[in-house]
Amino acid sequence: MQINSNNMDFLVGDCGTIEKMQETPALRMFSDKAVGFLAALSTAIIRDKRSHEYADITSYAYWIRKASLENVKQKHTDKNERIGRGVAFHIAPSNVPVNFAVSMTSSLLAGNCTLIRVSDKKFPQVDIICDAINELLNGEHSCMKPYLCILRYSHSAEITQQLSSICDIRIIWGGDRTISEIRKASLPPRAIEMTFADRHSLAIINSDEYMNCDADKTAKDFYTDTYYTDQNACSSPRLVVWTGGSVNEAKQRFWSALGKLVKEQYDMKPIQAIDKYTSFCALGMKYGNIKLISDDNYVMRAEVSGLSADLMNYKNSGGYFFEYTASDISEIAPVLTKQCQTISVLGIDKDDIKKLVFDNGVRGVDRIVPLGQTMGLEFIWDGYKMIEAMTRFVYTGSY
Amino acid sequence: MIDDFYRLDPYSLAAAEKNELLLAELTELTGLHAQRCGYYYNFLKSVGYDKTNVNSVEDIPFFPVRMFKEYELMSIDRKDVFKTMVSSGTTGQSVSKIFVDKETAMMQQKTMIKILSNYWGSKRLPMLVIDTPDVIKDRAKFSARGAAIIGLNIVSRDTVYALNDDMSLNMDKLRDFMEKYSGQRFIIFGFTFMVWQHFYHELKKSDTKLDMSEAFLMTGGGWKTLEAQAISREEFKNRFTELCGIRHFLDHYGMVEQTGCIYAECECGHLHASIYSDVIIRSYKDFSPCGIGEKGIIQVVSVLPHSYPGHSLLTEDEGIILGQDDCPCGRKGKYIQILGRIKSAEIRGCSDTYADKFK
Repeated sequence: MQINSNNMDFLVGDCGTIEKMQETPALRMFSDKAVGFLAALSTAIIRDKRSHEYADITSYAYWIRKASLENVKQKHTDKNERIGRGVAFHIAPSNVPVNFAVSMTSSLLAGNCTLIRVSDKKFPQVDIICDAINELLNGEHSCMKPYLCILRYSHSAEITQQLSSICDIRIIWGGDRTISEIRKASLPPRAIEMTFADRHSLAIINSDEYMNCDADKTAKDFYTDTYYTDQNACSSPRLVVWTGGSVNEAKQRFWSALGKLVKEQYDMKPIQAIDKYTSFCALGMKYGNIKLISDDNYVMRAEVSGLSADLMNYKNSGGYFFEYTASDISEIAPVLTKQCQTISVLGIDKDDIKKLVFDNGVRGVDRIVPLGQTMGLEFIWDGYKMIEAMTRFVYTGSY
Repeated sequence: MIDDFYRLDPYSLAAAEKNELLLAELTELTGLHAQRCGYYYNFLKSVGYDKTNVNSVEDIPFFPVRMFKEYELMSIDRKDVFKTMVSSGTTGQSVSKIFVDKETAMMQQKTMIKILSNYWGSKRLPMLVIDTPDVIKDRAKFSARGAAIIGLNIVSRDTVYALNDDMSLNMDKLRDFMEKYSGQRFIIFGFTFMVWQHFYHELKKSDTKLDMSEAFLMTGGGWKTLEAQAISREEFKNRFTELCGIRHFLDHYGMVEQTGCIYAECECGHLHASIYSDVIIRSYKDFSPCGIGEKGIIQVVSVLPHSYPGHSLLTEDEGIILGQDDCPCGRKGKYIQILGRIKSAEIRGCSDTYADKFK
């Protein structure tokens, strides 16, 4: 199929790359070509002085360093039965600059020709990574040139349809509205799709265990999970559930340590204060049995006396938390809806949560991680083993 | 009782007296809405409202103005709704819906008269509206523009709409109006950007000489559009004086959620709170009240809203209290400066769909 490149702005590759992709051979999972390219990308990014200003870029570079990739490769024991599906078309979100590269990484390791639409919104991180990619593709790693194309285009149903028509797998980031918009473009019969919808998350803390932790370190961990992304990542806790016998002391200690840190580091905007207060009032109007706890507007807490499935409809970002004290962990079941993604825990056995999920057959909860690690880069996300999901398994009788 | 207010000159009370009068009325309104509006009752409960802790107007809970976009809030039976007022949101935005019964509508009108006659006397004046007659046609649904005009109709007579439906200036109507009232006292009313765009420019182009030296040019709706064109308030005024001799300018701040209680501009260019309402500026950091001269989020209180719980609202505008009880114009009470709508934040996160947050 010929591609009409009007209104496409290429950051990596060109229109010819896309056209040829349909014929370009898929690579096997964890091909030397792809692993070598990504490991070199890690080095190239770090070499660029501009990278050092951006924590998200450096953690990405660290994540794709050679040793890390080798380690991941070892974990995929059936890699020799797997091959890329063909052309992978990624729609990256507009608010997480490095996300396009994260999606690209799984896609290349899976063995796909990777075609990415990045957001119109310009981020220096995107330029830095694309500069490094171009340097490699025009140099030592030119063998990867046919496998990578990164472009921008303003919202255009036609372009999305064109690119969708040649893909074998489509990966949509950016939430519910983006998904429903992109889904108006049909896929070829064999193509599959992975979508990353709007999600929300919660934290569970055992108050007795917490009292033995370093308050400042925990505050820092929790800050990383929340305020670092304006508490607006899918994985940022919106609800804090307390268990154990020292809840009152623990709350006092936890929130005052956090409050101190937030005041020092977080640049809260006036509209966020209004947004948070408005969310609280909306919830209060509905239920009447909640309580606003806040010394100031930097950390706003809505204490609820029960958990229900619609609680998260009243969520907000920028430092707004629901808070609930549970006498038994099973009380959280109502909020483990389809939209629930990550549960971060402190002093709680992850297997206890997992058991709750499996015993109740709930539709949500894709990750259970320690508090402070919700933002970690992983090859498993939203219930997908990312690399594997982007491959085909070639069956020869055993698995 | 609202009648106590009517007996007074709208700018006659200094801080202590005003607080006492407002506090009594607002506390009563808080109780009234708690009794009649279930949503509002729950809101009060959630913010821990306790009447016995209220010692000044600042202690009355503030209700987010956005709530009127999300919920239909009223403290009356639906059958008693006399009119529904909506804010003029741009396309795609949700609008506020304000439910007004006869009693509240009457108070809005009476207050408007009290406030405005303080500026141009109690005689009803002819009014030239810089808008199209279309804007008030659908009486079932008043827009903010329409509502302001309807409100002013009570204090004026012989209203003429100066614009055609396509927003062009109707020169014939304008000439007829001026033939009758040239050199006399009358009102020109319109939204700032419309007055500038469709009146000033058109009039200038037409090269018509008019004597509007006794007219009061009343504007509203903010200055954002003009500021974007680098036209300052001063320049706006100077150009109008030059073009047709206008000397009396009366800008105002107000919102559909508290119709009637406008903050009108005095001879010194200050927007004044009347005894019917007040402004509290709050810090975004902790919502504590700001002092004179400090910028913050505007909270407005008004004694008029009886049919809906809108007597104490946290707006999404920013402003400054310039002073209190000491404006050279002689009016008592606070006088304020409006800085405009608070900027929406660019926030990080996974989802692209922030605008839908309150859907």
